[in-house]
Amino acid sequence: MANKGGRESGRLKVQEKRRILDDATRQRRANQAVEALYNDNFHDDPHGDLVANKKAPKFHDTLYTKKGKKSKGADYYKFKYRKTYGQMIEYEEIVRPNQTHYPDAAAPAPTLPKRYFCCACGFPCSYTCITCGAKFCSVSCQKLHMDTRCLKWTA
Amino acid sequence: MPSAYVLDNGAYSIKVEHSNAAQPKLVPNCIMKAKSEKKRLFIGDQIDDCRDASGLFYLLPMNKGLIVNWDLQKSVWDYILSKDCCPANFAETPCIYMEPYFNYASVQEGVAEIFFEEYECQSFLRIPTGDLAEYHYRKQNPAAPCCLVIDAGYSFSHVAAYINGKRDPKATKRIDVGGKVLTNHLKEIISYRQLNVMEETYVMNQVKEDCCFVSLDLKADFAKSKLKYPENDIVREYILPDFTTLRRGYVHTLDQPPVVDQQKLRMNNERFSVPELLFHPSDVGIQQIGLAELVHHCVELCPEEARSHLYENIIITGGTSQFPGFVDRLYKDVRALASDEYNINITLPPDPTTYSWQGGKLISQDPEFYSFVVTKEEYYEEGPIILLERFDGVS
Repeated sequence: MANKGGRESGRLKVQEKRRILDDATRQRRANQAVEALYNDNFHDDPHGDLVANKKAPKFHDTLYTKKGKKSKGADYYKFKYRKTYGQMIEYEEIVRPNQTHYPDAAAPAPTLPKRYFCCACGFPCSYTCITCGAKFCSVSCQKLHMDTRCLKWTA
Repeated sequence: MPSAYVLDNGAYSIKVEHSNAAQPKLVPNCIMKAKSEKKRLFIGDQIDDCRDASGLFYLLPMNKGLIVNWDLQKSVWDYILSKDCCPANFAETPCIYMEPYFNYASVQEGVAEIFFEEYECQSFLRIPTGDLAEYHYRKQNPAAPCCLVIDAGYSFSHVAAYINGKRDPKATKRIDVGGKVLTNHLKEIISYRQLNVMEETYVMNQVKEDCCFVSLDLKADFAKSKLKYPENDIVREYILPDFTTLRRGYVHTLDQPPVVDQQKLRMNNERFSVPELLFHPSDVGIQQIGLAELVHHCVELCPEEARSHLYENIIITGGTSQFPGFVDRLYKDVRALASDEYNINITLPPDPTTYSWQGGKLISQDPEFYSFVVTKEEYYEEGPIILLERFDGVS
């Protein structure tokens, strides 16, 4: 007969509650982090909240020369050449068949083993967060990670 | 000698001037919105007029080296060609337009249409930036049969092998790490560790330029940056600009009296772990080999008889190569990878940013220059197909 009110491990109890991210989610988060490195801006357009009225600034300043033939505005070109990435690749195949294209020129995958750096302080490290797979070097960095980013941080 | 109009359309800065000038003008290839001035936009180098460059919002025409926002690109070019910046008379002046490797035909056609139909260019030459770096190198070293160009730019970095002046497209490879990734990574780690600077691209780019260096011995530098100040000669303080008394931040070494009334950043292992991404993109999860390995990889893709010449004639261009220690580290890593029968010689020009532009200046004086260009008549006669025929052959 098992004793219902017996001793139980506090560590295991906490462990059970903790969510562990699966590999697919970890991969998705890693990809998001990489994509963020290519962002232009991380904040909203400071002119985005301007209300259109008479005093509102004209964003498409007319910089074009007045003499000669009438110039097409910048907006014309915005739509004229706008192509999705897929369209660009497709067109490239037609125009330059059997040649090396932009995607082929990417460098191959790394051959050296991955190096790990502490997500908090940036030094080389050897421990892995059980929940999200982030790396840390010491207990203090682990605590910082748990308090701030672990599962709270996306992108 | 009639001059040509040389325009290197970089994703970060456009290098532009007539070929009879000594140096090109550098104009940021973007339009910026400032929080402090809601009445205007800042195009290119107009940002120098902006009092408060904090929280700048960037509108970039290019993404990953491809022109994606044509309206922005057109506005920047219009500004460059206006009398405030660098006007040109295209009826008499040929135009040399420089673009990245493997640009898409749809982008190239758009560029040609704008230059021929909008700016009424009489003759137009489109050429990859790296090809002109190679041309410049060949003019300086006529005896070199091969050349390896390393172009570390804003969107990405390329390594390209040239044999007898001709580029091998199979041995032209790209790492998706450039100045933009480095600045964004620096912003990310500083924002987590010290102060939220995610909005301060302009300032953090200056921090990167002023503070960062390429480590020659990563392990030793990490060990050193773990120590306290007097033993640790890596740690610096960066005094941030406040745009009232201080317009540009500066590096402050700890042996000077401390600055108390300004916001500052402590730059320790950030100084070298950021440019380290060029040599190990996998450190941030970009699944590609580093620059030194890529040099080795590209040389290995070339025929064996060319390899020794390629290793002996490595030329570096692009603004991201300006970190202190870049060449030494590259030499060290390539030396370790290459077979010891090869000599390695890496050249860093005094100004790597404008090295390719200087190549454009030289090609405009080439006796055969006019056989490279496409004229307006040819373009109107045969359409965009003539661009492919002529420029894909030129190298």
